[in-house]
Amino acid sequence: MRILLIFLFVFGISYAGDATIEVIKKVESLPSIAVEDSSISYDNTFRESFFKTLVADLNVISLFNVDRHHRKTHFNDTSVMVENKDMDYVLRYKMFQDDSEALNIELKLIHRENVVLTKQYKINRKNVFMFVAHTIAYDINEYMQAPSIEWIKRRVIFSRNVTPLKTEIVLADYTLAYQHVLVKGGFNVFPKWANKNQDSFYYTSLDEKKPTLKHVNIKTGKSKSIISSDGMMVCSDVSRDSKKLLLTMAPNGQPDVYIYDVASAQTKKLSNYGGIDVNGQFLDDETIVFVSDRLGYPNIFSQKIGSNSVEQMVYYGKSNSACSTHGDYIVYKSRESSNAFSANTFNLHLISTKTDFIRRLTATGINEFPKFSIDGDAIIFIKNYKSQSSIGIIRLNHNKNYLFPLKYGKLQAMDW
Amino acid sequence: MKKIIISSVVMALLVFSGCADKEPVVDQRAQEVVVAQEVDTVNSEVVSGEDSSIDENAMSSSDSNEMNMANLEKDLSSVYFDFDKFNIRSDMQNRVANGATVAKGAASAFTIKLEGNCDEWGSDEYNFALGLKRASSVKKALMSEGVSETRITMVSYGESNPVCTDKTQECWSKNRRVDFKLLP
Repeated sequence: MRILLIFLFVFGISYAGDATIEVIKKVESLPSIAVEDSSISYDNTFRESFFKTLVADLNVISLFNVDRHHRKTHFNDTSVMVENKDMDYVLRYKMFQDDSEALNIELKLIHRENVVLTKQYKINRKNVFMFVAHTIAYDINEYMQAPSIEWIKRRVIFSRNVTPLKTEIVLADYTLAYQHVLVKGGFNVFPKWANKNQDSFYYTSLDEKKPTLKHVNIKTGKSKSIISSDGMMVCSDVSRDSKKLLLTMAPNGQPDVYIYDVASAQTKKLSNYGGIDVNGQFLDDETIVFVSDRLGYPNIFSQKIGSNSVEQMVYYGKSNSACSTHGDYIVYKSRESSNAFSANTFNLHLISTKTDFIRRLTATGINEFPKFSIDGDAIIFIKNYKSQSSIGIIRLNHNKNYLFPLKYGKLQAMDW
Repeated sequence: MKKIIISSVVMALLVFSGCADKEPVVDQRAQEVVVAQEVDTVNSEVVSGEDSSIDENAMSSSDSNEMNMANLEKDLSSVYFDFDKFNIRSDMQNRVANGATVAKGAASAFTIKLEGNCDEWGSDEYNFALGLKRASSVKKALMSEGVSETRITMVSYGESNPVCTDKTQECWSKNRRVDFKLLP
């Protein structure tokens, strides 16, 4: 009996943090929260937009049952509104414009008649208000002592096809509510953040004589060419310290994975198969995973840098043509049906390099371009369903997916 | 309390310092307008007689070159491929052979650019690589017909250059193709 208990205990510990196991939480067990608006500046349209964004963010942090009623009250009222008296938490905020026309937000979180958290925020331009809402959600998540959601404040960079051979590279928040076009008018694909601070990025220009990798500093607007290759050039991954890149290049029409040292500008070929080897991702400092068709169909493999031996990572799915890594986890895109054009064609799956579990993350539509958040808490991906392009967020530990549609164009690629 | 307020303001400022007005847009259209041909024509009209006649010669020769190239490109039919495949189908062999004949004959002065394209099923790198392998198959076939390797360049556009945007199988099959383009 004791042995059995010890076994169960060890089993419980070893799988407690495994993201490949689905967590099904009871909705009714989540605490309730209501939001009260005490704004004194700005028109109703703007107040409504901010309220909706904040409620959406509170839903995405997946810690509360969020009440959707937009109720207005005075910031300094000591008690919560009558309608909200049964709520576990009430978030009350006040937006006001100061003399320099900056947007100020004061907020307090009320729990059982007590103010448990107060914060103040200020930004110079009100059109980036959604980033304040994301920061508020981040701070409340921190207060609730839930695992960090650093990703909610980060910026998304994506390319979209506008017309054939014309694309735009766009900076956005994770909900696509804020959008700022960074590069337009050309044919530019595969944008990739160059570092953790997100102050510069790489992208591929297909307007040059040969596909060329370019680097742009967002703060200065300075653009420079890094390296060119006949046929194909993509920056697939940037190492955590930003010093090494994994590139796909194809001199002589043969796509292979290369490692590029930013300081010395030296490249070294890593993959050696005569078919397609693309989409290199750093698993750790010594190992990469990549997509290869060496078995006659695309699948995910790993390889030690400097070694020629290759290990198959995925044994499920007929065609696994894209992947992203974080720690021991690999998320990959898989074509499941043998009918190439059925409605339910591409889904995302999660595996761990330490266990044999496979978790299916999506169910309908074309789901592709998975990318882990910087903290591994969430996965961002592109969903194309019935000619609508969206960005999706999967909260791994909460078993929830959220979709944010793109207003026009088709998403080509993105980074987070 | 004051500390919390100040730290949150500082943090908010840090977060938004990157999204402020100082993100300049790299606008490539500006550069493209500069190379537009109309500008050259207007310039050649204002210069002196001798210069303008030289310019006209230059213009007419490059014009005829471009017309010649455009006409020849009409003779070069796109090569189509099966889903997820990059081998040349038997019904496409004639098009490749014809391409080789044009490349060695009327178009022998030009470089041949092979543009690989895919259908909309996937925007990832693998799809780009598939487009490239299609271009590479055509390149190998042209070389075996005697076209010099140094005259052929390749590029893949993935799914970004569709000729048809309907959601039908027929349409997708038109997008899985290699186009021939001529470069001076």
